[in-house]
Amino acid sequence: MSIINYASREIQFKIVYYGPALCGKTTNLGYIHQRINPQNRGDLVSLATAADRTLFFDFLPLNAVVIKGFVTKFQLYTVPGQVIYNATRQLVLRSVDGVVFVADSQWEKMEENVESFKNLEDNLAKQNISLDEIPYVLQYNKRDLENVAPVNYLEYVLNNRKKRVQSFEVVSSTGQNVFASLNAVSQILLHKFSKQSDVPKIAPAPVAIPEEVPALQRQGATV
Amino acid sequence: MNAIPCLTIDDVATLDGVLGEFLKKAEAELTVVIDRGGNVISQFGDMTVMDVTIIAALAAGSFAATKELARRIGEVEFNALYHQGNGNHIFMNSVDDDSIMITVFGRRTTVGLVRFYSASTAQSVATLLQGLSREGHGFSFDASDITAAPVFAE
Repeated sequence: MSIINYASREIQFKIVYYGPALCGKTTNLGYIHQRINPQNRGDLVSLATAADRTLFFDFLPLNAVVIKGFVTKFQLYTVPGQVIYNATRQLVLRSVDGVVFVADSQWEKMEENVESFKNLEDNLAKQNISLDEIPYVLQYNKRDLENVAPVNYLEYVLNNRKKRVQSFEVVSSTGQNVFASLNAVSQILLHKFSKQSDVPKIAPAPVAIPEEVPALQRQGATV
Repeated sequence: MNAIPCLTIDDVATLDGVLGEFLKKAEAELTVVIDRGGNVISQFGDMTVMDVTIIAALAAGSFAATKELARRIGEVEFNALYHQGNGNHIFMNSVDDDSIMITVFGRRTTVGLVRFYSASTAQSVATLLQGLSREGHGFSFDASDITAAPVFAE
């Protein structure tokens, strides 16, 4: 949960990048760290193994002046995507304010995407939080690769809940839509705490059922 | 509308008083109270020693990571952790179920002194934080106060 310090006029928010192993969560933070004005960020802390797999979490603190009269501190975390590190994911999700779910667009990763999304819901539920209460956006990452699923299929699989959210076609290695998705979740988060609570509405297009439905979907692998 | 938990100027002054007194007695450099999610609640002392935000995130992780270790020997969690360096050290102790107190100290003092004074300080901080949650301080702002421009730019 965010906290405001009225004496130093600071507000803190925690945003977590969640998704399956090797989907590009750390690459997102690396790109943001590389491209944002150094005055507005701290060090990128990465607790990784020798093979560059996230062991604990990555952490990047960012500062912004987005609310009149307050310094807003955003703390970006990634979770370890590997299935065995669920306890660590639960820890990182503690006091979360917003989520960027990073999906790997490649066909063969679809089952892992669905599994990770369900894992996110389960881990939030353990903190008595419903995904519907948490500001979140979806990233369909690795759009530059050849074997990627069409966006309408990804929407059908991952963004077909009662409450639909903004989604972005992302290439985290080049930075395409990395800032757009961070800005989107930040705006939703800020408006959640405003008196009017009127989140700018950018309604996602309706989900079209893909014409070619692969085996995964036929097995009912949607969330 | 969702309200953000708020520390008023008076709350911060009271917390600063307790933490300042602790630093003076324990002769430590810096103390930080954080929630278990890694958010900084209050800090007092020499802030130039380090990036407090990063220390808070790592300390919350470190504290939680040892929970399983504690469980293996029949404890719910370790109440305190000590990381010893060559010249600078970190002592962490539990304040309550939601928060932790971190103390950074150097050659001027000893871990025994820090540990001794941190126990009573943690109790005072816990009482203060419980008071805040009972009073239900909350803060929200007008939508018009939020910038329309992108929050972060490349």
